[in-house]
Amino acid sequence: MTAVTDRQKLQYITARAADARVNVELETEGMTLNIGPQHPATHGTLRIVARLDGEQVIAAEPVAGYMHRGYEKIAEVRTYAQVTTLVNRIDWLGSFANEVPFILAAERLMEVEAPPRAMWIRTILFEMSRIANLILFLGDMGVQLGAITPVFFAFRDREYVLDQIERVTGGRFHPNFDRIGGVKDDLPKGWLEDTKAVMEKVRSFCDEIEDLLMGSEVFQQRTRGIGIIPPDVALQYGLSGANARASGIDWDLRRDNCIGLAYPEVDWKVWTHPDGDSFARFWVRLQEVREASRIIDQLADGVPSGPIMAKVPRIIKVPAGEAWISTENPLGEMGYYVVSQGDLTPFRLKIRSASFNNISITPWLLRGVYVPDIVTILASLYFILGDIDR
Amino acid sequence: MGLGLVESGKMPAPLTKLLNLSRKYSLWVYQWGLACCAIEMGAAFGSPRYDVMRLGVIPLPASPRQADLVVISGTVTDKMAPAIRRLWEQMPDPKYVISMGSCANCGGPYWDSYSVTKGIDQIIPVDVYVPGCPPRPEALLEGVVLLQERIQNEDMAARWTGEPIVVE
Amino acid sequence: MADEQTDTADPAGDAEEPAAAPVDENRNVIVESFREHLGDAVVDAEVQPGQDVWVRVRSDAWRNAAEVARNALGARYFCFLSVIDWLPSPYGRSMDASVDLELARLAGEEPAPPSTELAHGVAGGETQFQLLARVADVGTPGGFWGVTLKADVDDSLTIDSWVPVYAGADWHEREAWEMFGVTFAGHPGLRHMYLPSDFEGHPMRKRFPLLARMVKPWPGIVDVEPMPGEDDAGDAAGDADGSGTTSEEAES
Repeated sequence: MTAVTDRQKLQYITARAADARVNVELETEGMTLNIGPQHPATHGTLRIVARLDGEQVIAAEPVAGYMHRGYEKIAEVRTYAQVTTLVNRIDWLGSFANEVPFILAAERLMEVEAPPRAMWIRTILFEMSRIANLILFLGDMGVQLGAITPVFFAFRDREYVLDQIERVTGGRFHPNFDRIGGVKDDLPKGWLEDTKAVMEKVRSFCDEIEDLLMGSEVFQQRTRGIGIIPPDVALQYGLSGANARASGIDWDLRRDNCIGLAYPEVDWKVWTHPDGDSFARFWVRLQEVREASRIIDQLADGVPSGPIMAKVPRIIKVPAGEAWISTENPLGEMGYYVVSQGDLTPFRLKIRSASFNNISITPWLLRGVYVPDIVTILASLYFILGDIDR
Repeated sequence: MGLGLVESGKMPAPLTKLLNLSRKYSLWVYQWGLACCAIEMGAAFGSPRYDVMRLGVIPLPASPRQADLVVISGTVTDKMAPAIRRLWEQMPDPKYVISMGSCANCGGPYWDSYSVTKGIDQIIPVDVYVPGCPPRPEALLEGVVLLQERIQNEDMAARWTGEPIVVE
Repeated sequence: MADEQTDTADPAGDAEEPAAAPVDENRNVIVESFREHLGDAVVDAEVQPGQDVWVRVRSDAWRNAAEVARNALGARYFCFLSVIDWLPSPYGRSMDASVDLELARLAGEEPAPPSTELAHGVAGGETQFQLLARVADVGTPGGFWGVTLKADVDDSLTIDSWVPVYAGADWHEREAWEMFGVTFAGHPGLRHMYLPSDFEGHPMRKRFPLLARMVKPWPGIVDVEPMPGEDDAGDAAGDADGSGTTSEEAES
């Protein structure tokens, strides 16, 4: 809890006092503010019902479910091969990353292991979907603060990454490329060199964002000291990924529990930030994009040769058993608890998506903040509606 | 010229043509982004590579009450459907709807889900269906062009009565 | 990658061997600590060496288990909480749409009657509904571990809430209540999470039917695509299979 400095405390108390004075003068009464379900500031269809006292939030309650598609139920009626098509659409910005933990869980139950080349291709695509996802966050955070330009930059540079993903998988958005036992296709000729050129562009985008947006005084004033999450609370609510690392929790599944991916082979760093405020969350994600581009560079230099598919039966029946696999997705820990009873379809598929936990902290976090800060705090928590509602 | 002329159905043909020409190149689009398709719609409308404004489409209305066209992109759930109906009712005539993506067209990969509306044409009339999951930004632009062709050739009086035009 | 092209038929590579060692000291210690703190409330436990650990507790010790995990063992990170309905699934075995059944009857095949026995998974179970939760210890460098806790839910379908221990369990329990109808005693407000408030039934129960499937054949059972790297004959066979696939979207 060293995150809150005395200066911030003082600011907070002064603001509270000023607010109380204004409330008395204007005789403000409590009101209920409804944001959403379709609102530009909510990244989709999250609805927030906030009870206000003047400018201050007394209680805020997110209403989810406008995007609930019943994944866990309809996964029970899909074959294992079809489930990857579905799970692509959970976190739709980093689609490939959703497939990986599910496939790894099925592979564990089938006792199959992907050959090294497939493992490296998976890891490269995993990191590319992280970049495709987080680039949009970096641009979008600006929009929430009134800076329109960064999101155009983000869309521009994201296209290059999507082009590379499309060249391998055939899909800009939803690759459906991962298979039990390997990946669908091999890399096209010259792809690795082009990817490294794109990574240069990604890094220059990061520099641009750092100069344009993060360096801006307005940006810092709107985000520093706003929406502070102490590490204890973060853990209780199950915050993961960059949200947890921005609260100083040094935890990354890529490093701590890497299953079936090539992260131990490369040299990279887990970034954390001690502050736990909106700015820290932005900063950590910015570093993560840079780190991901470095990981891809290193992996591209050393993709091993060999097959891309292990021997698996034509019709996949997964032996009875239970497996839990989670990976460090762009939004945080994403995991699948697969229960199989030896059939064509999973018997039960529990999807643990990162945003669901990340956003469940909002009733706690939004209490006492000012209305304009709701938007920046939500933007900095960074959620995808499909990842909340599934 | 007042709306009375249009409603009376006695509009001279050259004037109709002129009005349709100007209408089709100033479509104010309200973006109703719901799921994955919303990102592709964002790429089509907001990204420099696709640049929808060259087609005379302005993706920036502040409210559905000043929009000519709404793009419903993404999965519509039963919980969301009433909101979409209300949005459509708020739009002024003549109004157009593009249904973007498999989910909005027919339920898409969630055809057997218990919570997804299988096609927004169950709740509002649709002018153009854009297939794909999600459609590429180019596909959405193609849908916009098709809608513009429709607007060019349509009888304004028929449109004004509020009857949905039949989609083949 | 020295072992490339040696023998791809064997799925278990070299990396598998140390993990397949029969003893997993760290995970055994976790089970032992739970037994130490909870006594005979630990009904069953299973360790899959190198992979994962499950502990099943008595339902009256459910909250106690959370307190032990969090306060005594240091698993401060709440991962998820959910429920499994162990009623046998009608899906995935043969055919599930009524059209399929009709066609099968015409062809003279009588599908086997569905089994009604509950087949429980890892760490056993006795009741139809079983709670499932995962907590982990994160943030201590090199000391990452996680455990999956299970507990049976008896016919009253009521169990203690975890919210006083892990605040993050709030939404997960609301979801479980909505999807399975399990009530959590002590939860601050069980209300609908995803579905409209007039929705009837608990969709994740196995008894809840997917109405769209009752009238439409399941397109998935013939969906077999050829594997990359397989020979041409295999590809041709795969195509022949695939051509029979009914398009889901074309029919909607």
